[in-house]
Amino acid sequence: MTPPAATTRTRAGLWLAGVGVGLAAIAVLVAIRVFVPELFPAGVQDRLQDGVTLALSVLVESLPFVVLGVILSIVVQVWVPPGAIERWMPRSAWGRRAVLSLVGMIVPVCECGNVPFARGLLIGGFAPSEALTFLVAAPIVNPIVIITTHQAFGFGDGILVARLVGGYLVANLIGWLYSRHPDQDALLTARFARSRELVACETGGRGRRSLAQLVIELRAVMPALVIGSALAGAVQVLVPRDALLAIGSNPVYSIVAMVALAIVVSICSNVDAFFALSFASSFTPGSIVAFLVVGPLVDLKMIALLRTTFTTRTIAGIVVVVLLSAFAIAIGVNLLA
Amino acid sequence: MHSARWVFTRLLGVGLAAALAVVTLSLAVTGQLSLYINPDSAWFAVGMAIVLLIGAPLTFLLPLGAEADDGHGHAHDEDHALDRGAPRRASLGRVAAVTGGVLSGAIVLTMLVLPPTALSTQLALERGTGAPPLFAGSDTVALATTGDTASFGVGDWASVFATATDPDAFVGKSVTLTGFVAPDDDGRGFGLTRLVITHCVIDAQPATVPVATDDLSLPAGQWVSVSGTIRPDPDGTLRIAAADVTEIDPPGDPYEY
Repeated sequence: MTPPAATTRTRAGLWLAGVGVGLAAIAVLVAIRVFVPELFPAGVQDRLQDGVTLALSVLVESLPFVVLGVILSIVVQVWVPPGAIERWMPRSAWGRRAVLSLVGMIVPVCECGNVPFARGLLIGGFAPSEALTFLVAAPIVNPIVIITTHQAFGFGDGILVARLVGGYLVANLIGWLYSRHPDQDALLTARFARSRELVACETGGRGRRSLAQLVIELRAVMPALVIGSALAGAVQVLVPRDALLAIGSNPVYSIVAMVALAIVVSICSNVDAFFALSFASSFTPGSIVAFLVVGPLVDLKMIALLRTTFTTRTIAGIVVVVLLSAFAIAIGVNLLA
Repeated sequence: MHSARWVFTRLLGVGLAAALAVVTLSLAVTGQLSLYINPDSAWFAVGMAIVLLIGAPLTFLLPLGAEADDGHGHAHDEDHALDRGAPRRASLGRVAAVTGGVLSGAIVLTMLVLPPTALSTQLALERGTGAPPLFAGSDTVALATTGDTASFGVGDWASVFATATDPDAFVGKSVTLTGFVAPDDDGRGFGLTRLVITHCVIDAQPATVPVATDDLSLPAGQWVSVSGTIRPDPDGTLRIAAADVTEIDPPGDPYEY
């Protein structure tokens, strides 16, 4: 039998070796970053380079929020006792969804970080329709978005109120619709359902489980985030913006154009109000609201991220409900404004 | 076979995130992070990149495949689980996962090895909406009327020119601005343009102030430094009458925030 002191020494040795290999891998990344760009002094062709610059800017901007979302997800899954959050929730399904759609007011992550956090909620025992309610509401019903939208538009044309109330209602509508689905687990991808089962029977200390969750969540989110950002960058350099803008003053076509723009540009909901502001003089107020409601919920980047957890069919349903609701709200604003 | 899959899992998750964290920190160290995001949010990007680079080596403590270990002595194989239900869909799913993985790996590798670059002026010119962007709104105009315009850039002046209710208050002010040349339709000069960023480069929008000059030979996209005085056009709109236009190299900080 191995003496305890020897076991401790062996464990410490393995620990050091593991961290050493990890640090060496990061040193390799740093060396590549420092030396290889020197080989491309002239850069590459403008349009490709612009696409890379745009995609990288989205990634650099969203990575910290993803990390924060993953950390919060680990906290919910590993460190908060099971059922602790649910004890604070109302019992009725409507009440639970109404509260979940306000969680964005206190959880400081933006739309990219919401996906890992929502995965944490799902693993923590919330139903897919409840997690969806949070996911759809949080990018709009949160303090930073309210402040920036107010800075950009004030209360003019009812844009701020329509955005907030619209986001809240669409989230609860989607939550209600999907709560009617007889098989909630069928809304989730097989891969995510599997990782949820794994977490449920995972053993080991909290440290080990946290590391395992870090590996699992980053594996789920990173490729989707990278591809979503690259698509957003590519579309921006390939689709001429004039084509979308030629139809700004028509009450119906302007909404179509701004919805298309929202899906394409994939701007973070914290600042999209400033972006929309520059269109306010040439586009109808309803189309601006449509942009502000659709963008945070179903842009290219967000669709790629949702695909990590929900089936294509579920996402198609969400997109349809969001688009139809945004059109209805936008036409209402155009009629009233 | 299985170990290859777990290596793939680590590369596409922790690996991609760590590579992007290294890119973020290298940009911050070389002072080039502002080519991609507003410097105001640099502390958050840098802080979280450091957290990630502390966490990434720690994941090496977890043996390969341990993230899928259920504690009953064996690791679950997700693909086998999928196979039971619908083999064709499972293999399609596997192909999609591998393709997406290879693609995202290639994209991040490209970002790791390409030198940092600002958006081209050509793209900036295409992004004009024809409408004046209102970056700062009434605050900028209020500040301008108190006379404190020393720190104003092209974006601030574009807002003031577009929204000032009393343009005469600015007539005669001297300005020195840096930007690049955009064509001006009326043939009296050019539009001095700069990209303005709120959050990150994807929300960049061009701001333009009209410059009157006799030198119409400057090509679109050329960076220039302009000194001149604000003058009114007959229709009351404002324009900078250039006293001096100097061609310059693209600046290290090409955007305004």
